[in-house]
Amino acid sequence: MSTTLDPNASPAAAPVKARGRVLPAPVTPPEIALIGVLVVLWIALAAATPAFLSAGSVIPLLVEVAPVALIGIGMTFVIITGGIDVSVAGAIMVCSVITGKLMRDNAIPLWLCLVVAVATGAVLGLFNGVLIAYGRVHAIIITFGTANLFLFIGLRIFGSTPIAGMPNTLAWFGRGVDGRTVGVPNSFAITVILTAIAWWYLRHTPGGRHFFAVGGDPVAARLAGIRVQRRILTAYVITGLLVGLASIFTLAKGTSNLDQSVGSGQELAVIAAVVIGGTSIMGGRGSVLGTLLGALLVQTVKSGVIQLGWPSQLSDLFVGVFIVVAVGTDLLRRRARREP
Amino acid sequence: MAQQPRLTLTGVVKSYGAVKAIRHADFELQPGQVHALVGENGAGKSTLIKIISGATAPDAGSVTYDGQSVTITSTVDAINLGIATVYQEPQLFGELTVAENIFMGREIVTRGRVDWAAQNDSVVKLLESLDLPAKLATATVASLSVATQQQVSIAKALAGDAKVLILDEPSAILTDAEIEVLFGVIRRLAGDGVAIIYISHRLDEVITIADQVTVMRDGATIGTYPVADMTVRRIAELMVGDALSENTEPRTAPEGDPVLELKSLARAGAFRDVSLQLRSGEILGLYGLIGSGVAEIAECIYGLTKASGGDIVVQGRPVAPKSPREAARNGIALLPANRKTEGMFSFQSIAFNVSIAHLQKLSLARAFVDRSGERSVVKDLMKRLAVRASDENQAVGTLSGGNAQKVMLARQLVERPKLLLLAEPTQGVDIGAKEEIHRIITELADNGTAVLMVTSDLQEALRMADRLLVVRAGTITAEFGPGARQADVLAAAAGDREGTASA
Repeated sequence: MSTTLDPNASPAAAPVKARGRVLPAPVTPPEIALIGVLVVLWIALAAATPAFLSAGSVIPLLVEVAPVALIGIGMTFVIITGGIDVSVAGAIMVCSVITGKLMRDNAIPLWLCLVVAVATGAVLGLFNGVLIAYGRVHAIIITFGTANLFLFIGLRIFGSTPIAGMPNTLAWFGRGVDGRTVGVPNSFAITVILTAIAWWYLRHTPGGRHFFAVGGDPVAARLAGIRVQRRILTAYVITGLLVGLASIFTLAKGTSNLDQSVGSGQELAVIAAVVIGGTSIMGGRGSVLGTLLGALLVQTVKSGVIQLGWPSQLSDLFVGVFIVVAVGTDLLRRRARREP
Repeated sequence: MAQQPRLTLTGVVKSYGAVKAIRHADFELQPGQVHALVGENGAGKSTLIKIISGATAPDAGSVTYDGQSVTITSTVDAINLGIATVYQEPQLFGELTVAENIFMGREIVTRGRVDWAAQNDSVVKLLESLDLPAKLATATVASLSVATQQQVSIAKALAGDAKVLILDEPSAILTDAEIEVLFGVIRRLAGDGVAIIYISHRLDEVITIADQVTVMRDGATIGTYPVADMTVRRIAELMVGDALSENTEPRTAPEGDPVLELKSLARAGAFRDVSLQLRSGEILGLYGLIGSGVAEIAECIYGLTKASGGDIVVQGRPVAPKSPREAARNGIALLPANRKTEGMFSFQSIAFNVSIAHLQKLSLARAFVDRSGERSVVKDLMKRLAVRASDENQAVGTLSGGNAQKVMLARQLVERPKLLLLAEPTQGVDIGAKEEIHRIITELADNGTAVLMVTSDLQEALRMADRLLVVRAGTITAEFGPGARQADVLAAAAGDREGTASA
């Protein structure tokens, strides 16, 4: 192997500057591959159904992508630390139903809706985070438990009927004309901005880099003086905060009604986006940019299948194939390196 | 002029519960010195290192650093004093670059962001001071060889301006050529005034690299000697003391037929030309230090890895087991070294653990498990092996190490095996249980089972084995009879070149 050291390596190879990439790659190979797949898909779909690239088709797509990609930012943090959060669906329900009821009964203003939803999400995330960081039980067990707990709480608040007749307070985040700035859905724009911030944070700050260390090897991270538990806790709280905001998106894109199916299946959609985006399910490696692309890919496939008039189960099949390819690539990459 | 020592430990004592890990330790380290710390397993080396590196605090005694009395209460304290430790297994992040690994937890930050360029420049300087190529700085750690990863660990330790560098068994995972590179680095660092504590089982290395050697035995430092005055044999004698191996009632090994024969067995990169013959009723010991290849030989016999040359002959039939299951079908019963990860079902009952390998024998019409039959077989075995448990339904994970090991042994006794392979049979087992396990092994052999015992516990090897083969550098280098002296065996295993005469 070429990196094995030569005992006679010349010390005379005087002041060489670090060559190669000094920074972690801004765009990784899986992300480039994703961009490629997306572009090809869009071109193919546009050719097949000219309506695909029309505003009437693209805007709903972006509105659907927004909550998944937004929570995906938090989930990327979680999975980079080597954890997972399957309680997202339940958390969305709790945040939406609390905010929805308050909105209907008290006609609270937009900013208060935001505060309520985000604060509720943060509390739920903190609950998960404390249990996982200090409980020393694997995240999938904890969040599987809290997922059921959150669903129970959500359904209790619902009572037996859906919430009907909510006011139009959240229109700014919705799918209507009020929810767009220069033609782009506000919810999607916010998601892109937050993704960019998270991308910068993970790439450039010591705090961000420590998430990768924690997922790479928690013992080594602790020996390096990193507060491992606090990093883990933070990842779940970030997810909780974003679940709160995503609940606002979800409330806004619906009608004036909210029923008990809210959030259902979202945890898998989010995890699929993260995994397809190239974040390693084993921890230690990943990117929020990939997650955004992954969410876009999943939604593109779903819309495409519908617009082509294909049976809708096909989109599940395609998403499944993407997940297998993404995870398989990651495993092969690891194995190739393990055996030099 | 007497130089001021960098680090002095005086009268250090440390107990874990009722166990005295260190009874009394004195240790003095000079700047620019390579100081070896040697002792058998359990002599107290690792505890002493933990005290110096801040991983644990001593119960009594004083620590002086550069003439100042200090209390090291955490690894961060130790690092701040300039005491850095390179652990046996590299503590690195595979997905990150070398530069990032070195600065992880102490990043260079300008205006809130990691200053990648500054970090890389300083890593390049560090790498060059260690004669490592500059391009390593931006390589991902997982893409490097183990040897290079270890050098990165050393670089990481030195990045904090270390004045004391602790190397814990650094050579265990390296090839000979890589060890030479490591020695080059050590000499250069010592030349720069870094004081180095070098821990190794391999005494030939100690002779080569160290200036001073401190020997530990039974929780005490028994002396520090200039290496120039020492030989491998002399160090080995100090390590084991005058203690003769405990008197074992001489066992007359029955002269049975050969059950296992290895003919020039080899696996590329691990061991080569291993030949031995094991007769029924015989207990054959295979003893070697970590990294000698002894563990790999055992893995190969029970089918965990495949040989690249030579033959394994069981009862006259050549076999090439590709899995433990196949080994078992060929009549090789196995007690794995690491019972927690290899073979024990912690959450299951004793009965389950014993019968899992024998469900066919214990089943009715090969379909239903005969529960009452299972219970009576298990109960009988528990009595014979003196397993201390409430009943056969207790989960194995709740038993003590010794009792769990007895359960694992019981699994092998349901059908009396012709050939039993034991890997570290009494590791992590208390004295009482050890005696009992030894008794069971002897009993099995008396009844005709051929026992191959792979162990790194020298006393156990000498006590149990009818014949003892020493493995060093991937091949069998010496053979001893039952009356062998510990010091001779240790010297042979640790690389005393002139001491390989067979007894």
